[in-house]
Amino acid sequence: MYEPKRLHPVSAVINFVKGLKDSALPIIALIFLNGNIFSGEVEWMPLLITVGFLLLVLGGGVIRWLRFTYRVEQGELRIEHGLILRKKRYIPFHRIQSLDFSEGIFHRPFNLVKVSIETAGSSDLQKAEAELTAIKREDADELETIISREKNKRTIEEDGIEEDRVISSREKVYEMKMKDIVVMAITSGGAGVVLSGVGVFASQLTEVLPLGTIYSEFLAWLRIGVLVVAFAAFVILLIAYGISILLTIFRYANFSVFLDADDLVITRGWLEKKQMTIPLNRIQGLRIDENLIRQPLGYASVTLVSAGGAVQQGAEHQLRLLPLIKKKEIEQVLHQMISDYELDVEWNRPPSRSKRRYILRHSWFAWLAVIPLSIFLFPYGLLAILAALAFTGIGFLAYKDAGWNLSDQQLTLKSRFINKQTFVMKRKRIQSAAVTQTILQKRVDLESIRVTLKSGVGGAVARCLYLDKQDTRQMMDWYRPNDKVEKRSDL
Amino acid sequence: MWREPAQRISERALSLWRVYGAIQAGVTLLVSIAVGAAVFFWGWPEWLLAIAAGIILLELILSVWLIPELRWKRWRYEVTEQDIELQHGIFIIQRTLVPMVRVQHVDTEQGPLLRKYRLSTISISTAATVHKIPALDEQEAEELRRSISSLARVAEDDV
Repeated sequence: MYEPKRLHPVSAVINFVKGLKDSALPIIALIFLNGNIFSGEVEWMPLLITVGFLLLVLGGGVIRWLRFTYRVEQGELRIEHGLILRKKRYIPFHRIQSLDFSEGIFHRPFNLVKVSIETAGSSDLQKAEAELTAIKREDADELETIISREKNKRTIEEDGIEEDRVISSREKVYEMKMKDIVVMAITSGGAGVVLSGVGVFASQLTEVLPLGTIYSEFLAWLRIGVLVVAFAAFVILLIAYGISILLTIFRYANFSVFLDADDLVITRGWLEKKQMTIPLNRIQGLRIDENLIRQPLGYASVTLVSAGGAVQQGAEHQLRLLPLIKKKEIEQVLHQMISDYELDVEWNRPPSRSKRRYILRHSWFAWLAVIPLSIFLFPYGLLAILAALAFTGIGFLAYKDAGWNLSDQQLTLKSRFINKQTFVMKRKRIQSAAVTQTILQKRVDLESIRVTLKSGVGGAVARCLYLDKQDTRQMMDWYRPNDKVEKRSDL
Repeated sequence: MWREPAQRISERALSLWRVYGAIQAGVTLLVSIAVGAAVFFWGWPEWLLAIAAGIILLELILSVWLIPELRWKRWRYEVTEQDIELQHGIFIIQRTLVPMVRVQHVDTEQGPLLRKYRLSTISISTAATVHKIPALDEQEAEELRRSISSLARVAEDDV
């Protein structure tokens, strides 16, 4: 592996497709400019520009592939690339946090993988430190072995222990059942995302269309059939929902978690296979989510809060450790992966005098909206009262679901805004803690607590509202460093 | 342990914040003059002037007089060998605790107005959060920055 290597030629194709995707807008614009292409009157200039543009993108993809080499040398991964500017990037192995593999549709036929290299301090928020677009599976495995061997050698040297560690003792600790995947797809918020996409599309459409004429026709149409509109909306909704269910199933099929020495390895996906590696010592905490549909069914999802290099945005990339699981199984499954997190804790509750504060916080805007809605949109506006009642109910649930627990080294906070969230945190991982109190709460000795963990490049905030002052102070005193020299050994 | 943090920020912060408030009121005044011109030339309704005057008055009372005073009274901080504690907020009072081992780096910054008042703002960054103490005396801020950065020894594997 010491001689410079190229990526697999397929990566030229992938570069091309990616380039196309990035430049989709100008190309579409050009095609539209060239409107008459099918009626025989071809305008040559735009067509030439289009073709030239495509060639440029294609050429760029090929040249980028030609110029990209990587090699392993002196404990570093050395990448050289660049079209005009030659760029060299040397990444020392000990700085590499994890290698993530993923396989797209281009990768599958040739048994290739895309490797993303994550380091602790990636400066770019959304990208990994480096990416090998397509290399052979064996090469990727070899790379992984080399890196973990070098890393281990280093830690062994540092510890001064002469001991050959067993590399790659992969043990499957969790596999998601198909039934759970389907339930997850059905109860996910993904439908909402697809729908809002449709909504955005529709709103852009209305800007293009001549609204005035449509409006008068629309009124006529409205008389014929509110039913038709409602039905169309319903069908669109149903289709969007179906698509989102299918996408989720494809994405999460074969979801399993492996324990590999000091790393957790998550693999998933049907068409596009993904593998993510999370070093155990990068885990900052756990988050357990229960949304309004899943909670009554007894389901929850578990997400890792990790200080990984790149911030992976979007729900798809979040470090879902257990995307959907029966709540009572969490403890047992999690125990095999990360044993020091205690989940079955006894909850302390906010005092009863904060009940009305929770309810007010969740519903005041709704009740406020009821008045003008009921007056101006009488009688349909009265329906707003139902919505306000629903928010009141959520406020009550928020009060019921709030809680905290403190043990020797662990703080657990649960709260609900709409979905119920439980954060499990270790004292040594908490970056900062704060209590807040409005002057109105001062009279009744209520305080809220917010605790920040490191998550990616930013932070994850756990909070619990309107607790008794004694309780929040107890938590702050627990967090306050109190002995002169903190025991470094237990860190 | 639950007394207020001991240190206050510089008293000159008060004057600085009043200047900020006055600038804000000045901007509103300019807008009101424009409205006045519109009333005069194009016959916009005159009650607009009354509203503008009201807003300026309110701004003078709130952002020049009351808010700086309340804000200054509330702002407290304390730096010990092991932690940094901050307290601020007018309506919502927030008390923040940052253990020294979590501090990654400390910066001071000084804009032109701050420089005129010999003040500077110190910001303390952990791996996930940034905490600012506004308007400290220049020298105090400098000393604080030095002492915090010498006290802060981050335990690396925890991040």
